[in-house]
Amino acid sequence: MLRFAPSELTDAELALQEQVRQFLAAELPRGSFAPGLGMAAGRDQDFSRALAARGWLGMALPRRYGGAERGVVDRFIVVEELLRWGAPVRYHWVADRQTGPLILRYGSVAQRDRFLPAICRGEVSFSIGMSEPEAGSDLAAVETRARRAEGGWRVSGTKLWTGGAHENDWFVVLCRTSDEGDRHQGLTQLIVDLRAAGIAVRPIAYLDGSEFFNEVVLDDVFVPDELVVGEVGAGWEQNTSELALERAGPERWLSTYLLVEQYLREHGAVNERAQAALGEAVAGWWGIRALSLSVARLLDAGQAPVAESALVKELGTRFEQDVLDAVWRLVPEDPDPVAESLFERLLAAAILGAPSFTIRGGTNEILRSVAARALRA
Amino acid sequence: MSGADALAVLRERGPDRAAESALLGEWLLAQAGLGEEAGEVTVAPGSAGDGVVLADGRVSGTLQRVPWARDAARIALLADGLVVVVDRAAVTIQPRVNLAGDPRDTVVLDGAGAWTGARMDPEELLMRGALTRIALMAGALDRLYEIAVRHSRDRRQFGRPIGSFQAVQQHLVNIAQQVALAGVAAEATARCAGGFEVAAGKLLANRAALTAGRAAHQVLGARGTTREHPLGQLTCRLWAWRSEYGDEHHWSTRLGAAVARAGADSVYPAITGGSTIVSV
Repeated sequence: MLRFAPSELTDAELALQEQVRQFLAAELPRGSFAPGLGMAAGRDQDFSRALAARGWLGMALPRRYGGAERGVVDRFIVVEELLRWGAPVRYHWVADRQTGPLILRYGSVAQRDRFLPAICRGEVSFSIGMSEPEAGSDLAAVETRARRAEGGWRVSGTKLWTGGAHENDWFVVLCRTSDEGDRHQGLTQLIVDLRAAGIAVRPIAYLDGSEFFNEVVLDDVFVPDELVVGEVGAGWEQNTSELALERAGPERWLSTYLLVEQYLREHGAVNERAQAALGEAVAGWWGIRALSLSVARLLDAGQAPVAESALVKELGTRFEQDVLDAVWRLVPEDPDPVAESLFERLLAAAILGAPSFTIRGGTNEILRSVAARALRA
Repeated sequence: MSGADALAVLRERGPDRAAESALLGEWLLAQAGLGEEAGEVTVAPGSAGDGVVLADGRVSGTLQRVPWARDAARIALLADGLVVVVDRAAVTIQPRVNLAGDPRDTVVLDGAGAWTGARMDPEELLMRGALTRIALMAGALDRLYEIAVRHSRDRRQFGRPIGSFQAVQQHLVNIAQQVALAGVAAEATARCAGGFEVAAGKLLANRAALTAGRAAHQVLGARGTTREHPLGQLTCRLWAWRSEYGDEHHWSTRLGAAVARAGADSVYPAITGGSTIVSV
């Protein structure tokens, strides 16, 4: 049975929400920057450092590593406000959301000392090295291979859809280290320097012409033993838990939020069609946010809401697309991606970005299977 | 029965005349200073628009879709902006039913003697009524979910449980999501029944009724389509409740207009703060 329990924010949580709102209004006022859509927003290390100075990066990490030892819900509140503001989160996004918790949970003492304080200061950036040409939804099919070498590993293979590989410092590579046993065994996670010898980063032009995603070819790249994350051969379990518990956050239902706000700012909701679209969208956010927040509460309670997370991501990403469609229908002409109107630019970006909402971080088809397994159990 | 208790009864047990009387009829009388006498009071949901005329303590006109009017002791309605109560014995009932066969009678008032209470904004009654329908719909959806999951485990075709087929699993996921949203709507509105919450909650419940209802029927196949099957009884009521106390058009335009009035900068604060930010 599902464990969704709606809750209110506590006074302390509401105070944090207010702090973030005031910070954004003061440091990043509307009109002073080009807002982006959710995770696809801009990259600005100075902004990430400013967040770090407020204690809002690596929030759940222990104090001895520079974290704030705050919970999942606190991070939820900060991330929610950043995303709905369209703030440039890309520099720290993967490190704060994924790599930090991964290294805390599975990394060595030396890895924690080396990377976690830097993550909390906004001084190191990470990409994800999971997908490959022949390993999309079937991630265990990865063919990138690491072979034993003196003091470490030699890694060869091709990673695909590696966001930000051209601009980030490191990526966590899931690769095969053994062919023995089940194919889910023998996989290992390595922290790889994106500027290491033998790495070639080739941009992939996305639908909108942007070149954020890359193909990363590793040709006999040396990775020292001290950069193996956790156990050799335990990469699958580590990777799965990393994915499962990061699925249901605000980034899965806020990608098209700004579109609605900006429509209202530029056009107003002057007729019933626009009012109905706005009302439906707001009701949807109100409900999905409650579900998403309840998953964060479960995580803070030490539970592993795998099915609930999958359900929320599947629901939230389709909702993002529904919101886009509803707003799009209010506009008579196809939008110009370089128009003067911010709304028009956001609409174009949303239309071109929307196909990826229900693919990135696990396709909706895979998520439904994950959720259904738990529903039927 | 307290309001919270009555909402819980509606969600757990389904349509319950005593609970609905407590939540709507007795509440309306208490609001209007007409006391809390014994006996079931049903409420004419759309009386403000039914064109009932009040003159010299007597009401005339025709009330549409009054739940269980034939069984109630008294009928409460709004006439000329005032809360008015009539005895059932003083009116003529034309039996009508909703999609599920539940009484939704037409009540003809032909100069019926009425007790007249205080003024009430019809919007207030609409909100209260929607609150009851959200609870009823969330409860029906809870049971619909159980029926669909159980059937997907028990029913075998092609030599295996139908729930092992991905196509069926997709329906179950769809149902689970919508049931979760309706559950959130019911719990949140039971805690805070402000205009924003009721509007958003009824929208979510209505959407869930349609989406989960269709998916559940697909999971159950022909079996779910008989008059006796519990699934059909649930979906018929869900479809009926959808249009009671505000359909999608009503609540979406109203919520959207309210949020638009508050302005672009208030949209997100409204999503997180609801009726503390926006007046719907």
